[in-house]
Amino acid sequence: MSASIELENVSKRYGALTVLDDISLSIAAGEFVVFLGPSGCGKSTLLRMIAGLEDVSSGTISVGGRRVDTLPPGKRGVAMVFQSYALYPHMTVRQNMAFGLENIGVPKDEIGRRVKAAAQTLEIDHLIDRKPQKLSGGQRQRVAIGRAIVKEPAAFLFDEPLSNLDAALRGRTRLELAQLHARLGSTMIFVTHDQVEAMTLADRIVIMNARRIEQIGTPMEIYQRPATRFVASFIGSPTMNFLPLTAIEKGQSGLALSVAGLGRVETSFPSQTKIDVEGASLGIRAEDLSISAEGETGIPLKAEIVERLGDRTLVYGVLGDGSKLTVEADGRAAVRAGEVLQVRLAPDTFHLFAADGRAVRGGQ
Amino acid sequence: MREPEVTYKPESLTASRPLLWGAAVLSLIMMAPVAWLVGLSIKSNQDLMMGTDSVFRFPYTLVNYLNILHSSQVFGWLLNSVIVATGHTLGVLVLSSLAGYGFARLEFPFRRTVFVIVLFGLAVPEQAVIIARHQMFSWLNLHNTYLGLMLPGFSSAFGVFLMTQFFRAIPKDIDEAALLDNASQFRIFWKIMLPLTLPAQATLGIFTFLGAWNDYWWPLISATRKEMYTLTIGIASSQTNFAQSEGLGFLAAQAVFASLPAIIVYLIFQRHIVTAVSGGAVK
Repeated sequence: MSASIELENVSKRYGALTVLDDISLSIAAGEFVVFLGPSGCGKSTLLRMIAGLEDVSSGTISVGGRRVDTLPPGKRGVAMVFQSYALYPHMTVRQNMAFGLENIGVPKDEIGRRVKAAAQTLEIDHLIDRKPQKLSGGQRQRVAIGRAIVKEPAAFLFDEPLSNLDAALRGRTRLELAQLHARLGSTMIFVTHDQVEAMTLADRIVIMNARRIEQIGTPMEIYQRPATRFVASFIGSPTMNFLPLTAIEKGQSGLALSVAGLGRVETSFPSQTKIDVEGASLGIRAEDLSISAEGETGIPLKAEIVERLGDRTLVYGVLGDGSKLTVEADGRAAVRAGEVLQVRLAPDTFHLFAADGRAVRGGQ
Repeated sequence: MREPEVTYKPESLTASRPLLWGAAVLSLIMMAPVAWLVGLSIKSNQDLMMGTDSVFRFPYTLVNYLNILHSSQVFGWLLNSVIVATGHTLGVLVLSSLAGYGFARLEFPFRRTVFVIVLFGLAVPEQAVIIARHQMFSWLNLHNTYLGLMLPGFSSAFGVFLMTQFFRAIPKDIDEAALLDNASQFRIFWKIMLPLTLPAQATLGIFTFLGAWNDYWWPLISATRKEMYTLTIGIASSQTNFAQSEGLGFLAAQAVFASLPAIIVYLIFQRHIVTAVSGGAVK
């Protein structure tokens, strides 16, 4: 079973403090949506409002076409997996999973059947009579998911469920969650501040910042066409390079930008693009820059720190005017700290941001 | 080659030996009156009339304990103490748990103010309210009743404080998970929260039981009829005339007999008491 989720003009206020401001969002049935944003941006609060654990100050929330923001959490048809797992410590795995079904009067044999099926799906059937303190972090996490599955909810809500796991287990569980979604076909909302989790799991990512939604889109849309400078800086590792503009004029085939540290560069932005130079910046991802072969000319960059990650090498350097620039090179690139490199630009990959942080596209 | 400098040395056993001796001496001091009492209880009254140093000489006898079984009122007082201490303990556990849950988890007007008022109870000595309470219980005809002996103890400010702190220490995620599991507020309290507070309940229960068992002040005032005496009052009343009647050995046997239930409770719940005293229960 899966259901659509609609949020219309939802706000959350604590007295004079506004935590979420006029959020509207449509999630299709069966969709895997990730709320991504820095700590304190309101993503967990929004999830808790959908779950019914926080009141809605204004606006409406509907699940499967039925308005639910006036209903208690247990009546909304959603199940939640908490960051801490929130298993009942004095109950066995079986009792943890059965508790929610007992509360709604599901017959005992049906409870037994559902618990068994979920335990088999999650490969925890051998742990069914253990208490949570006898389980590892990963096993507890599976039980928490199992507790949600047995309820056959209209939507699953995950509140940073992987953040208490070690790196290896996190990667494996991420994969299993994706498989679970494919198998159940349920609507899932997943809150995280980890962009890798968001990029790998989501059908669509909702990027949140400072009480608002910054952008909604598929992972590649978000990555390739960030709507704001915040989104561009938040998605991608290493962080996108931002260089201030000093002048904008018509070039040979598009806009010609005078960029701090780079000088005058020809771009593919249409020449009629409207943008005020004051406060505007050029965004370049590190992987869109490359190191010129010996003898070729480019932008001189003095390498300060070289990070070797195996498959790639990150070069953190300084341009002629002191501006910082990060370049991603091949894993085998023979770069040493202190060396002056020649960096090649790819103008087609540039991102242009106005002073208010909004991304400027051709013709705007 | 220079040896690496050792910055941490575990304390050796010899270093703690003076502490061990100190503890042993203190234990002996604590145990001496108990041992003395037991010694007196197994001597005949005639021997003790000649001098209490006869404790250190044979013969020993269980006649005082047999006399308790045949003639003493101790059994009646024991029953009274069991009823009062158990009722008192149950009352404190029920009320403190409910109040603690309310203060820790429920939203209601003036919650903090009411909590502070309850905590003020810790600062009010029983002696300060005893006359008013006596008067009130007199009007309500509660003197010389079990309810009258139990009721004042139900309002345990310490119990409410302890349970509130314990409920507060339980992560809120647990209640929220139960809410999403469609559990009612009472079911959350009964099936989820209360079982999680068992260590605190045990701690509070033991201290309340021992306190009620040893209580002297209120039963002395409220129980004026001999058949309503608790053990503490009953034994104290015997002490005033032991020279004329039963004698020192019999009295000592009564005291040992009276302390047995408390010792049994202690032995059963020893682990919880140690945890409670070391503060580990409220983590």
